[in-house]
Amino acid sequence: MTDSTAQGADHTDSLEGRVFRPASSAELEEAVDLAFDYRGDVTLGLASGEVLVGYLFNRHVKGECPSVEFFPEDESVSRTIPYSTIASIAFTGEDTANGKSWEAWVSKKESERRAEAQRVEEDARSRGLL
Amino acid sequence: MAVPVSQMYSVASYVLSNKLRGVKRYPLVLMLEPLFRCNLACAGCGKIQYPDHILDKRLTPEQCWDAAEECGAPIVAIPGGEPLIHPEIGRIVEGLVAQKRYLYVCTNAILMERKLKEFTPSQYLTFSVHMDGLKNEHDLAVCRDGVYEVAVRAIKEALKLGHRVTTNTTLFDDANPDRVRKFFDEMMALGVEGMMISPGYSYHKAPDQQHFLKKSRTKELFSRILSNPKGSWKFNQSPLFLDFLMGKREYQCTPWGNPTYNVFGWQRPCYLLQEGYAKTFRELLDTTEWQDYGTSKNEKCAECMVHCGYEASAVSDTFGTVSGFARTAKLTMLPTSR
Repeated sequence: MTDSTAQGADHTDSLEGRVFRPASSAELEEAVDLAFDYRGDVTLGLASGEVLVGYLFNRHVKGECPSVEFFPEDESVSRTIPYSTIASIAFTGEDTANGKSWEAWVSKKESERRAEAQRVEEDARSRGLL
Repeated sequence: MAVPVSQMYSVASYVLSNKLRGVKRYPLVLMLEPLFRCNLACAGCGKIQYPDHILDKRLTPEQCWDAAEECGAPIVAIPGGEPLIHPEIGRIVEGLVAQKRYLYVCTNAILMERKLKEFTPSQYLTFSVHMDGLKNEHDLAVCRDGVYEVAVRAIKEALKLGHRVTTNTTLFDDANPDRVRKFFDEMMALGVEGMMISPGYSYHKAPDQQHFLKKSRTKELFSRILSNPKGSWKFNQSPLFLDFLMGKREYQCTPWGNPTYNVFGWQRPCYLLQEGYAKTFRELLDTTEWQDYGTSKNEKCAECMVHCGYEASAVSDTFGTVSGFARTAKLTMLPTSR
């Protein structure tokens, strides 16, 4: 499938910034699966020209008319969108499961520990214990 | 005993009536997530990573009550997110208590002292406070300093007001058995009714991916923690589930045992995996491909020994086999015989 990366996107394992333009139903299914697993908003480009930004939280692959369920970011109720109407899927929202909160916490704790170790060292040095 | 007799009787008669009627799949605990928003971002949690407009969605009290009626489970656990953030949590609880469900409000307790006035003590209502260990371990697990002390204050206040209070603890592979045993002593000294423990599930969306337990390590860890238990320790969960964690019993997962309802609908297939959503509980039961999930059936289930999959299996063992019933009776009467 045509897959491009938006300018300025972070090149990590995350899909954030990627844009998919599926060329077949198999590729579309694959792109929808990725969007379903993504913990950020996506932008759906529909064949009608309509553009929807929101969270894709469910998909029904089986049956005569496969569809996704989608919470538009500015609407309170979900919308059901047939696969057949989706022309592109862009991973435009922040990937909220990118693990940065844990990294930030560990880094903060490490810097606190380093600072504490330094304080203890300075204290010991001032007492002539080192 | 950590669980009141009235609650035990309710659950026992519910399970037995299902077994006698030959019902193959029935729920034991409804996991009701009225919102995903939380005021913490714990390292091992994969539940809250959503865009803001999703975190701002709430189930209404009516949706919560209808879900409990539709599901029919005798026990309802309200995790989240942090349920005490929900502006109508008092009404939600009131309605579920009126349905005579045994209700566990799973909270990190940050807002608990402030919110206690919204709740009337009841035999049906328990605050299940998230405590992942002693002060250092807990504050590290929840990624914020000072939370342990806030939770201890809230537990004391709730107990003073006459509420039922338990703790729920998730353990990871860096848990120190001696420290966990000391933690159990501290919790029981606070006066809680009982404790619930479980290994963490390796959510692939959780921030910390390094510390999830593998099965063999889970059994080793829980054996070291739970062997030679003290008489003062009380656990608010099936004794056979604790046996399972120690590697003394083998179970298959019962993913429909703890069905999950949230702002997306009925989650397939369980509380931990998100393979899709059904609009009704009946649709969830009838259209989920249950044979695809469980130990040795799905790689996502391979290392899982979490309570929401296996506690229902343990309860089914209690009421479905002579050995299970005898072992449960023995451990209930003589908890130190483990």
